Amino acid sequence: MSAPRRVETRIVPAEGFPSREVAVKLSEIAAVHALLAEASEGLSPAGLERQPAPGRNTIGMLLAHVAVVETHLGQVGLLAERDGHVHDVLGIGMEDEGMPLAPGAGPPAALAGRERDFFLDLLARAHAHTRAACARLEDADLATDIVRPPRPDGTQRVFDRRYILFHMVEHAALHLGQIRTLRATL
Amino acid sequence: MKLVRHVLRVPGGRRSAEVASFFAQLDDLNRRLLEDLRGTGAAELAWQPKRGQNTIGMLLAHMAIVEVFWTQVAFERHTPEALALALGLGIDDDGMPLPARGAPPAGLRGRPLRWFARLLARARAVSRRAFARLGPRDLEREVERTRRRDGQRSRVNLRWILYHVLEHQAGHHGQILLLRHQYRDRRRT
Repeated sequence: MSAPRRVETRIVPAEGFPSREVAVKLSEIAAVHALLAEASEGLSPAGLERQPAPGRNTIGMLLAHVAVVETHLGQVGLLAERDGHVHDVLGIGMEDEGMPLAPGAGPPAALAGRERDFFLDLLARAHAHTRAACARLEDADLATDIVRPPRPDGTQRVFDRRYILFHMVEHAALHLGQIRTLRATL
Repeated sequence: MKLVRHVLRVPGGRRSAEVASFFAQLDDLNRRLLEDLRGTGAAELAWQPKRGQNTIGMLLAHMAIVEVFWTQVAFERHTPEALALALGLGIDDDGMPLPARGAPPAGLRGRPLRWFARLLARARAVSRRAFARLGPRDLEREVERTRRRDGQRSRVNLRWILYHVLEHQAGHHGQILLLRHQYRDRRRT
C-alpha cells in the first residue's frame, strides 16, 4: 500500500502589485485556472466538443467562455474601456464561444476540433491580460463606480472593480463545477 | 431605464478588511444562488437525473456542511460531532459521494427550499462568527488536516480556506443551474 499523499495549498498574494487586495484576487484566479486545467486533463478534441444534447454547452465552450468573459471584464471593468476587444487578446471573439446556444444548436464552428492546449492557451492569455490590467491598480481604485453605456434594451450596468475581481473568480468556479459534471458523464 | 448595480460593499470597522471582503463575496454568492432557486419546489430539489447522481438538495446541504467543516478545520476543532452540533446536520447527511446507483438520502426527502436556505444561513453564521475574530495577519496561519477517506494529509493557509469555500460554493451553484436545465428539459419530454 502506498503512503498517504501530502498536499500543501496556499493562497499567497501575487508579487509585484501595489494593491495587496488585488494581489490576493490574482492568486485566486490563478488557482481556479489551475483547477480548470486539472478538470480538462486528458480530454481529446472529441471529449471537449461533446454535447450532452443539442443546444447544450460543451466543455470546450465553457473553457473558452471563461477566457472570453475574463478578458472582456478586464477591458470594460478593470481598464474601464468603453468597448471590449477580446479578439485582440485571445484571437477569438465573443461570438466564437457560441454561448448562449440557440435551442437545438450544435457547438460553434470556431471551436471544432480544437485540442486542449488551445483552450489552456486562451486561459493563459486571459490571465496575462488580467495581470497586466491590474499592474497599476491601487486599493482606492477598487471601489470606483464603472458605469457602462446603456444596452439596446435600456439596461445600464454599474459595477466596481472589487466586484469585477470577485466575479472573475466565482464565474470561473461556477463553470468549473459544470465542467466537472459534464466530464463525469463522458 | 433599468439600472443594474454590482458593487461589493465591504463593511468597515472589522478586525480584518480581507475577512470582511470574503464574507461580502460569500453573501453575494448566496443571495444570487437563492434568487436562481426562487420558486423551486421540493420535488425538483429532490430530483435525480438518474440513480447515483446528486440532487439540488444534496448539493445545498453539502455546501452548508463543507462551509462549517472548513471553518472548524481552520480553528483546529473539527470533529464530526462538533459539526453536527453546530449545523444540526451530520457530516454524511448530504449523502455525498453517492454510490453508483445510490438514491438521495432519506433525511433530505421532501425538504422545501426554505429549509435549505435556513441551513445555509446557519452555516454562514457559524463561519462568520468564527472568522470575525481574526486580525489582518491571521489568514497567513496554516493548519493541517488528514482526510478520513484515504489518510491524505494536507496543509493549507486560512486564506485558502476562505477562497476554497467561495470556489466550492460557486462550483456547486453552476451544477445546480445545470440540474435546473435538466429538470426543465425532462418536463418537456
